[in-house]
Amino acid sequence: MYELNICHLYPDLLNLYGDRGNIIALKRRCEWRGINVNVSNISIGDNFDAESYDIIFLGGGQNYEQEILHDDVINQKGNEIRNAISNNKVFLAVCGGYQLLGKFYKTWDGKEIQFLDAVDFWTIGDKKRMIGDFVFECDFLKENGFDGKVVGFENHSGRTYLGPNVKPLGKIIKGYGNNGKDGFEGALYKNVYCTYSHGSLLPKNPAFADHLIALSLKQKYKDFVSLSYLNDEFEELANRTMIKRIIG
Amino acid sequence: MNLRLTFTIIITKLLIFILRIFKHGGTSLPGKVARKIYPDIIKVISKDFKIIMVTGTNGKTTTTRIIGKVLENNGVTYVTNKSGANLVSGVITTFIDSVDITGKSKASTALLEVDEAAFNVVTDFVQPDILVVTNFFRDQLDRYGELYSTLNNVRSGVEKSPNAKLVLNADDSLCVSLAHNLDRDVIYYGFAHGATDSGESIENSDAVYCLYCKSRYEYSYQVYGHLGAFSCPNCGYSRPLPQVACLKVVDLNSSYSDIEFTLESTDDANERVSHNARINLPGLYNIYNALAAASLGHLLGFPAGSIIKAMESFECGFGRMETIETNGKTIKIILVKNPTGFNQVLTYLLTETQEAQIAFIINDKLADGTDISWLWDVDFEKLEKIQENISMFYTSGIRAEDMAVRLKYAGIYTDKIALIKDHEELLNKALEKTQEGRTLYILPTYTAMLEIRKLLNKKFGLKEFWK
Repeated sequence: MYELNICHLYPDLLNLYGDRGNIIALKRRCEWRGINVNVSNISIGDNFDAESYDIIFLGGGQNYEQEILHDDVINQKGNEIRNAISNNKVFLAVCGGYQLLGKFYKTWDGKEIQFLDAVDFWTIGDKKRMIGDFVFECDFLKENGFDGKVVGFENHSGRTYLGPNVKPLGKIIKGYGNNGKDGFEGALYKNVYCTYSHGSLLPKNPAFADHLIALSLKQKYKDFVSLSYLNDEFEELANRTMIKRIIG
Repeated sequence: MNLRLTFTIIITKLLIFILRIFKHGGTSLPGKVARKIYPDIIKVISKDFKIIMVTGTNGKTTTTRIIGKVLENNGVTYVTNKSGANLVSGVITTFIDSVDITGKSKASTALLEVDEAAFNVVTDFVQPDILVVTNFFRDQLDRYGELYSTLNNVRSGVEKSPNAKLVLNADDSLCVSLAHNLDRDVIYYGFAHGATDSGESIENSDAVYCLYCKSRYEYSYQVYGHLGAFSCPNCGYSRPLPQVACLKVVDLNSSYSDIEFTLESTDDANERVSHNARINLPGLYNIYNALAAASLGHLLGFPAGSIIKAMESFECGFGRMETIETNGKTIKIILVKNPTGFNQVLTYLLTETQEAQIAFIINDKLADGTDISWLWDVDFEKLEKIQENISMFYTSGIRAEDMAVRLKYAGIYTDKIALIKDHEELLNKALEKTQEGRTLYILPTYTAMLEIRKLLNKKFGLKEFWK
């Protein structure tokens, strides 16, 4: 029997608006297929050993909470996170968690906050928030006849810019994405998936959830071939209804 | 005689009258118009009132209702914005509606529910003599911004009201902070140690770390969410002793709660006077609302008996457990608008011992919050325990599909989830399936509640909300 160990980093601080739905989705979709899942909640002061986990999740947080964890994530867990990323560990990082993996965050009034420098991107704050439902298209999801369209909700004031070796996660069909200008959303580097999409992301985009599950099983088990079929009637209906409404 | 005032009042009253004829409720627009014609109107006409304001994230409407009953029992004439028109314009409309054309009112007191995001702006025009704050929880982020900015907004309103006496929730570290380092008269209310054992896992996601020094709070007990006996081991910021306290939850069932409470806490249990009361609405969260109202009554010097009578007999607000009986079947409407409130409603549903049906109606219009991801912060997983008891879970509204997905991932069997977009069809099917003596629970978001009430009104006749 296959088993996946999921690490939810700072669940008590980075838990803005339904981010835990991603953990619920990963867990249920594994369980429905007879794959055992353990979820570990790791927060401030906890020992973090990335090798014990197959998927590491970072959610979004409010400014106040991000300030609280800043020292712990930079000085206590930073090296472990950077090593895990270069060793191809699967990460999913949303919104504030996404920004945290980058080089820095520069506030709209010019203050620069150092981040993890784990992936080559950076974020610049702005006064105007980018809020709303949005749709983007991911090439890595275009298989088995699926069109790769992902739907979510974004709400961020930071504008993120990617360095030369980092690919965007997807192309914006409708909405703002990384910075509202270049037409791209999120970041993809090695096995690190970063996005501004909460909403939650994975329940309503089951292809994305399965992509992450399959990827981590492939890394862990040499004999793993593919995931078994699930009836996703409700999920697909939710996904298609929103895409139709947003794109028109 | 102030001609401009009289002119504005007449125009506004006319507008209120016309809007009501056309069944629009007319709760906000008249106030907007009045402000355009005479920006200072609220200052002028509110000056003779004793003003009580109720704000906070959850429980404003119910708390206001109970306070209303307390005032009534003590012969106080008051005006109130009953229908939840709780922004600046709604407050102005309420005042104008109550005065005659010279700006005088028969009522001595104004009891106003004020939106926590609007409170700061409202205090630019009119300041409360007494401010009751219920609690702070995360709410629609796209509308209110971050929780801490809402808190700071209310704080700024408190600072603009230097003479206001405060009634605060002792168990809420965010709420208590409003009086921190301020020299004010404060009455705190809360749950005494051992008053309740909810026995369920308590999720605290809004205030885990100290507001002042960022250390993790310690709790000697929790009631729900971040509410409980918090204390910071580092800087010492901690829960004040509530003067008005629930000493024991005697019975918590699906129709009401019986509690033992005191209006004068002392550390010595032998010395305190305790009272028994039945709270007309079920749910732990309504005990907090009742305590807040009791504190206000006590602050105004009203006798305990009149407060207890109010708790037992108040009428619930618009969509807050409104009950309709039809052909021996019961429909209950319970508004849901944020994770903590929704969780409390689900906890309440667990007290239902008979077979029942539940309909979730989820919209994502501006007043509901356009971002529905908060549904994933609601602990629907606890419904798994009672799903044998629930014959069908219905999902409806603009985001019916998302709600169906949420239930599926909470572990509800998909053959027990019926997705019906049309409200009329939903109501017909669900009522047909409800047996005599059983209940259909309808849990709508704000605009969904307006829609479903309209339909229920057409079918069964409901009280108009502006009355």
